[in-house]
Order: sequence, then structure tokens, then C-alpha cells
Amino acid sequence: MPRASRIAWRRFAGRAAQYTLIVLVALSLNFAIPRLAPGSPIDYLVPSEQISTITPEQREQILAQFGLEKPLAEQYWSYLTGILQGDLGYSTQQGRPVVDMLLERLPWTLVLVGGAISLALIIGGGAGFLSAARRGGRTEVGGLALFMFLDSMPPFWIGMLLLVVFSGYLKLLPVFGALPLTDEAGSFALTFEVAQRLVLPLLTLVLVRAGWLFLIARSSLASELSEDYIVTAEAKGLSHRQVVLGHGVRNALLPLITAVAVEAGTVVGGATVVETVFSYPGLGRLIYESVLSRDYPVLQGAFLMLAVGVIAANLLADLLYPLIDPRVRTEGTR
Amino acid sequence: MSGTMLGRIGAVTLVLFIFAAIFAPVLAPYDPTQRSAEPFAAPSFAHPLGANDVGQDILSELIYASRLSLTVGIVTACLATVLGVTVGLVSGYLRGPVDGVLMRGVDVILSLPFLPLMIVLAAFLGQNTTNLILVIGLLIWARPARLIRSQVLSVRESGHVQAARAMGATHGYTMLRHILPRITPLVAAQFVRTANVSIMLEASLAFLGLGDPFQKSWGAILFYANARSAFLADAWLWWVLPPGLCIAAVVVSFAFLGYALEERVDPRLRSTVPTSESLTGLEAPAPAREEALK
Repeated sequence: MPRASRIAWRRFAGRAAQYTLIVLVALSLNFAIPRLAPGSPIDYLVPSEQISTITPEQREQILAQFGLEKPLAEQYWSYLTGILQGDLGYSTQQGRPVVDMLLERLPWTLVLVGGAISLALIIGGGAGFLSAARRGGRTEVGGLALFMFLDSMPPFWIGMLLLVVFSGYLKLLPVFGALPLTDEAGSFALTFEVAQRLVLPLLTLVLVRAGWLFLIARSSLASELSEDYIVTAEAKGLSHRQVVLGHGVRNALLPLITAVAVEAGTVVGGATVVETVFSYPGLGRLIYESVLSRDYPVLQGAFLMLAVGVIAANLLADLLYPLIDPRVRTEGTR
Repeated sequence: MSGTMLGRIGAVTLVLFIFAAIFAPVLAPYDPTQRSAEPFAAPSFAHPLGANDVGQDILSELIYASRLSLTVGIVTACLATVLGVTVGLVSGYLRGPVDGVLMRGVDVILSLPFLPLMIVLAAFLGQNTTNLILVIGLLIWARPARLIRSQVLSVRESGHVQAARAMGATHGYTMLRHILPRITPLVAAQFVRTANVSIMLEASLAFLGLGDPFQKSWGAILFYANARSAFLADAWLWWVLPPGLCIAAVVVSFAFLGYALEERVDPRLRSTVPTSESLTGLEAPAPAREEALK
């Protein structure tokens, strides 16, 4: 086997092992939390309003039904094998399988989070590169302060203010939800309404993340532009534009991509509160609803799905690096 | 406007909020837990920011709420900084298998979505301020730990550390007397950053209705405003705008302060993370963010 591909495989195997470990930790947390929490695990499996009326016989029956009287190791094993078969338990409020409820909400969150990350990357990253390419202006610290302030505003508050302006005063956009009740499925009117209802939550998340990506893009390009190879490129007689775009930006992209992947968790967290403000029917809103109704199995299922999504994003970015930057391919030789 | 200027603005704003928190009983015109006006009352001379849905004075609520935000921010930052410095110092100084194990642990923590995990923990463990501080603190030490480790890696190679080791200093002595002082500016900056993150997390949890129900909090004020759709009436002006501005002001003050601290860091102390390391993916974002605010 050629050396380069052997290194690539070893890298892949190492990463795969690491991410498997992380998923296992998330699964174990989910298993441990209800068992460590105050009270009996039963309290978290029965609708909260029935908890006080339950008879000892019913208690026994529930314990047996969920296998809670078995040894912990056995419980853990059946929990893991259950998850592999897509069994996340049943909602205590609706009696439906948790998996079904999660899969219903997943596409909405994927559209929102995916759209927000792409747009924030284009806007924030672009502005950051621009600012680094024209460094040294008097307004530099002022601009920095502005982006830091943007980065400091709570996402849910930005969402509420956008609602005040666009829905309350300008009456341009609808207030709640993502799906209108009136239109027929598949019609153009429906697509338009859905897109319209996506605007504000999306805008909120982009505003929240763009400032931060601006800071990273700016510093990343600024440090690339101070490298020797930039001087060489300029000495060769390339235009400033060619130097910045062809040499600087290409190399400055990597930290930006890394940041996006690792911060996927933060974006998902932001989506949780933003979906709540806009009653947007994604996983975040489901978390909020299950907190309010104390529907613990749904809460845990939603957390697990978000965690696996974020871990997958990290893995994806990790596997993309060698394609973006050849220097990564030789990693592991030392 | 320079970085020092930003730092001063941040410090002054923070001092004002700390002052408000300490003297809340004197400054607040009413007891924020008692009904003192008509529910949903508009601002008047007696109630400059009106009243909420149960007739509590919103201005008094805001003043008292600064106590919780600042306590959570500062106590959590202490907890997370102590954990982060210990792990980062030991990991970067000893290297080898200890470093490997600790940093894999850091990777695991950083790969979990914090807010959803905190929601789950808060829902199961019960909502009180102690739990809140413990939960946030035990999750956010990982980022400072990694940054401090990369700094320690470069400081441990410097002459005075090598000299101390050659003269027979123990590991503990070397770490505390020769490495810790040199990473103090970074530690201070990380303390400020962690305070920042924890205040935002507390606000988010409270906004989702998972805050301490017996404590006034800016996030909780917004939770009730949202639940009553206050932003669709004129009430947004005195019920939604002020608590959010308070959160943003405190968080940005911490950020300005952190920026000024990082700018002051001795150039010799700037992290010299090997390029290969910043390219291995999970290692990269931390130095990148550190760089970003320099």
C-alpha cells in the first residue's frame, strides 16, 4: 500500500474510534441521568399528573415493563441494543414512539440550522476577509466592537425584537409556526408561506453567528497575509487581488471551516431558543414543549438526536480537511 | 478607539452592574416579588418601566436580577477556571499518556451540544441556582483547559523552566512557581470569557423556563414576556427591550475586558501552537478563537 494512503487510513481509523467514543459517552449520559436524578426512574416514565395516584402494584408492573428491576449492566445492554434498533421509548404525554416524533421535527431543524450556517459563513466570513484585506483603517476597533456587541446579544432576544419590527409594526411576515394550516400540500402558495415563515428564525441565527465568524475570518486571513509566501507572491508581480484571493483566502479558509464544525453545537443551542420564540416546529421547540409537559423520554431522545448530529458534523469537517489543505495529509508522519 | 479604551468601557459598565446588584434593596423602588401595580400597567411616574403580568414592578425586577446573573457568571467562571487551569497545566506540563487521556476527555465534552445537555440536566436534577452553577461550570472548563495547555506546552520549553528543572525543582514547584505566573494573563482572559459564556447560558435556560423559580433573572423576565406575547403589544418597549439590553451590556462588558486583557498579554506568551496541531481539526478552533480577539 502506498505510504500516503496508509497514513490516510490510519487517520480515518483514529478519528472513527474517537467519534465512536464520543457517541458512546452521549448515550451513557442519557442512560445515567434519569437513574442519578432524585427520586425513582419511574417518576420520569409516567405522566406527571398521574404520579401521585399510582398504586404499588402498578409501580411493580411499570418496573417490570421497562426492565428496571434487572441489574444495571443488563439494563444498559438492552438500552444500547434498543437504540441500535431505533427504540427510544414512548412519549409519556402522547403515547407515541419518540423516534416518530423526532423524525417529524428533524427536517425543520436541518433546514434552519443548515441555512443559518451557510448564510452566516458567506456573510460573516466574507466581511471578515474584506476587513483583513484592507487592514489598518481607523474604524477597525470600532467595527470590532460592533461585532462583539452583536455576538453578545441573546439569540432569543434578537428573535423577539425582529418579531416586534417585522410582524408587529411592518406586518410583513407571519408571527408563528412554519406551516400554514390553510393551503394544500405541494401547492406553490404553501411553499411560499413556508419560506416566508423561515425568514425571521433564519435571520436571527445568522445575526447571532455572523459576528463571530467575522472575527475568525479576519484574524485568520490577517495572519496568512503576514507570511513569507505572500511577500514572494507580491514580489513575483501579482496584483493585490490575486495575492489575497489566490493565496491568502485559500489558506485562511481552513480555520473557518473548523470553527463552523466545532461550533455546530452552539448553533444547535441557538436554534433551540430561537425555535421557541417563533414556535418553529423543529427539535428545539420539541425540547421546550417536553420540558413544559415534563415528557422526559422525548426530552432525552431530542438531546440524543442533536448530539449525534453535532458529532457527525465534527466528523465530516475532520474528514474534509485533507481535501482543503494538503498539509493535513502528511499529519501523523512525525 | 483602542483596545484599552474598550477595556475601560467594559470595566466601568461592570462596576455599575455590580453596584446595582449589591445595593439592590436600596435602589429598587419596590419589592420585585410583591404586587405593586395593576398587571400589565404601562410606564408611569411611579413605575418607570411599567409592571408585568402579575403586577410586579419591572424596574425592580431588573435591578434584583443583576444579582443572579453576576453571581452565576462569576462563581461559574471561578469553578471552570480552576478546573481548566489544573487540567491544562498538568496536561501540557506532563505530556505523554496523561495528556492524551485528559485531552480526549476535553474533546468529548466539546463535542456535545451544551445547551440541550444543560436543559436535560436541569430538567432532571431540579432547578436551583447551585445546580445551575455546577452544571454550567462542569461543562465549560474544557475550552480554557485546551487553550492553557497549548500555552503551557510552549512555556515549559523556555530557558527559565529548563533551568529550574535542571537545578532539581520538583514538578509541582515548577508548575506553580515558574509556569503558572507566565500564563496568568491568559488565565485572566479565559476567566472573563467563561463568565461571559455562563451568563448567556443562564439567560437561555431561564428563558426556556428552566431557571431557579425563586430568583429573579433577566432570562426569566423574558420567559414571561414571551409567554404573554408581550412583543406584539407596546409592552415590548418596557418589558422586552430592557432585560435583553442588560444581558447584552453585561456580556459585552466582559468581552471588552477580555479583549483588553488579551491585548496586554506579553508577546512572548502568545501561543506558539505548532501548525500541524492547528490543522488536526479539533485542536484548531481554540487557538483560532484566541487569535480572533487579539
